[in-house]
Amino acid sequence: MKALILVGGFGTRLRPLTLSYPKPLVDFANKPMILHQIEALEAIGVTEVVLAISYQPEGMLNFLKEFEKKLGIKITCSQETEPLGTAGPLALARDYLVDGSGEPFFVLNSDVISEYPLKQMIEFHKSHGGEASIMVTKVDEPSKYGVVVMEESTGQVERFVEKPKLFVGNKINAGIYLLDPSALDRIELRPTSIEKEVFPKIAKEKKLYAMVLPGFWMDIGQPRDYITGLRLYLDSLKKKSSPKLSFGPHIIGNVLVDESATIGEGCLIGPDVAIGPRCVVESGVRLSRCTVMRGVRIKKHACISSSIIGWHSTVGQWARVENMTILGEDVHVGDEIYTNGGVVLPHKEIKSSILKPEIVM
Amino acid sequence: MESLEEKVVAVIIVGGPAEGTRFRPLSFNTPKPLLPLAGRPMVHHPISACKKIPNLAQIFLIGFYEGKEFALYVSSISNELQVPVRYLKEDKPHGSAGSLYYFQDQIMEDSPSHIFLLNCDVCCNFPLPNMLDAQKRYGGMGTLLVIKVSAESANQFGELVADPITKELLHYTEKPETFVSDLINCGVYIFTPKIFDAIEDVYMRQEDRANVHHVTSFEALQITARSPPTDFVRLDQDILSPLAGKRQLYTYETMDFWEQIKTPGISIKCSALYLAQFRIASPDLLAKGDGTKNATVVGDVCIHPSAKVHPTAKIGPNVSISANVRVSPGVRLINCIILDDVEIDENAVVMHSIVGWKSSIGKWSRVQADGDYNKKLGITILGEAVTVEDEVVVINSIVLPNKSLNESVQDEIIL
Repeated sequence: MKALILVGGFGTRLRPLTLSYPKPLVDFANKPMILHQIEALEAIGVTEVVLAISYQPEGMLNFLKEFEKKLGIKITCSQETEPLGTAGPLALARDYLVDGSGEPFFVLNSDVISEYPLKQMIEFHKSHGGEASIMVTKVDEPSKYGVVVMEESTGQVERFVEKPKLFVGNKINAGIYLLDPSALDRIELRPTSIEKEVFPKIAKEKKLYAMVLPGFWMDIGQPRDYITGLRLYLDSLKKKSSPKLSFGPHIIGNVLVDESATIGEGCLIGPDVAIGPRCVVESGVRLSRCTVMRGVRIKKHACISSSIIGWHSTVGQWARVENMTILGEDVHVGDEIYTNGGVVLPHKEIKSSILKPEIVM
Repeated sequence: MESLEEKVVAVIIVGGPAEGTRFRPLSFNTPKPLLPLAGRPMVHHPISACKKIPNLAQIFLIGFYEGKEFALYVSSISNELQVPVRYLKEDKPHGSAGSLYYFQDQIMEDSPSHIFLLNCDVCCNFPLPNMLDAQKRYGGMGTLLVIKVSAESANQFGELVADPITKELLHYTEKPETFVSDLINCGVYIFTPKIFDAIEDVYMRQEDRANVHHVTSFEALQITARSPPTDFVRLDQDILSPLAGKRQLYTYETMDFWEQIKTPGISIKCSALYLAQFRIASPDLLAKGDGTKNATVVGDVCIHPSAKVHPTAKIGPNVSISANVRVSPGVRLINCIILDDVEIDENAVVMHSIVGWKSSIGKWSRVQADGDYNKKLGITILGEAVTVEDEVVVINSIVLPNKSLNESVQDEIIL
């Protein structure tokens, strides 16, 4: 079975993190973002994944080869030379996706993190016999997104409404699709929107069905949602009683700590914290609602909340880092410094406090 | 009588990527020394000034950038100027004087009688032949290029006191807190090979200090506070300051322009200074036009021969247009630097800005800033491949590479 992951381009919304690594390789919950999806696909028997990219950064191919070996799954890149929108890339990758077996293929959006109930989706797709299935998720503020209006009992999709002013429904497109190969015949190799052009056509023919996503869903393409996404992800680990979560007198709530990381005495970690490989958290540190990437050192008595600390950075003694502070790779926050929403580009030293949200280049 | 064997070499310190953060977003893909000023890479200006030195044997560029980033440039400039240019890569910081000492063998290869030392981020008219004459007259170990600046700004630099008659360097202090003098160090020097002995002395003293075991706790504090790691010799604090007043160092004052190219904003100002210099020294480097066959040109403007500028556009003053740029009808450009492969569509306006490589500026859009070089957002900078859509206004902002602006922005940094 095949799958396509829409990766896109430069990931500018996740800067400064994406200034050091391409977006698919930015870690989420101690694992490269794209690995979450590739693993979910591999688990239900997908044998080949195509990454639809618009730009191929150096070094990405090497990472992909590593994943290929470890997971025993084939990974190929399909690179667009001009922007093809959300459906065009499928046409571009046609030869990889259609193998004559008639099997449907998955399409995932690389920014999305969720439960990935892909097996249920395959059964749903078989049971309705339509051409395309999409996952939808319930949100509180549907007008921010594209709403999918569907018949509740069968899931048959009636129409899509982009950012509706009046309430038409509270289910939005979750960016996970299962398509029959025949759907590809509807997509031309030109800039095309899957929501505006392709799905409405299939819906008109009553061949598009939507399944409500059980479990959590988040678009983690920007820092604020990345932090919320971590909370949802760790919560789902908790529900599954995952052994990956940490326990102990110094842990509050859901916390993920890589086995190579060390935590000192007198710390209080959590809730909703991920600490990556080879991190050193010295004694007396308070961490909450934050991600600490690979190789970071948090010095004694520091306090970090609602922030992302990029790879190989250091946070000084008694420093206080909070309110959506995003530190890029190799950023060093001095002792006793306070940063309130500082967004710091890679390879910087912060020697004076950042009192209001500010970008430090 | 001058021996015909008296060769001179020049060393240009180009620095490394760590210092490039002030030049973001332009420095993401290009080392600062290769960023263009007045249509040529920053480092081109000191290099071509070196060409005027009689008996110039070699030019060395010393820095931390990966060799491959400079390889292309170095071979092309050697060819163009017909003088050997070599890039020497340091493995770790040695300090400005330490770097000189580290590469002593290469620098002394041709047994030069004099060695020029220039900083790449200095913008001035480099009166090097005059400095060589002056140095020979003074007969000391070295001569510094100095300039008078306003009293308020002097403390950003190395302040020095010189004897008004003998021109000897009497006193030198780096970035003092109180006012010492309005005469400052320009970062351009000429030395005799005796400089290497002076640097070696500093290393010996450092070793001696390292060998002392018994110090009072107060002394230990002083030592750690003021001395850098061993193997690190700074020209200013370790050589110039101690040798001032000892009849070894002299000064040569320039009355011309001088700037330190610390930020992209200042690089626009420096570009203008070099363009003004072209007007006097090499006026055919500047563009001319009156709107009939060529675009209207106001003030000093340089346009790369491969750029296409529509005759109805009005360009200048102080504009540099790099290779392959397309300027459409009705465009107005003022005080800006337009880098390679940029496309500027009809009737757009660009003022007090730097537009990065391959960017595109839409019809009737405005990219501008108030032009205050000292403010962080006083100059608008568009990184590589930025798209400004039709009719969008971008004011006093910095935009990182590969962004597309479809809404106006003001006073913002767009990641």
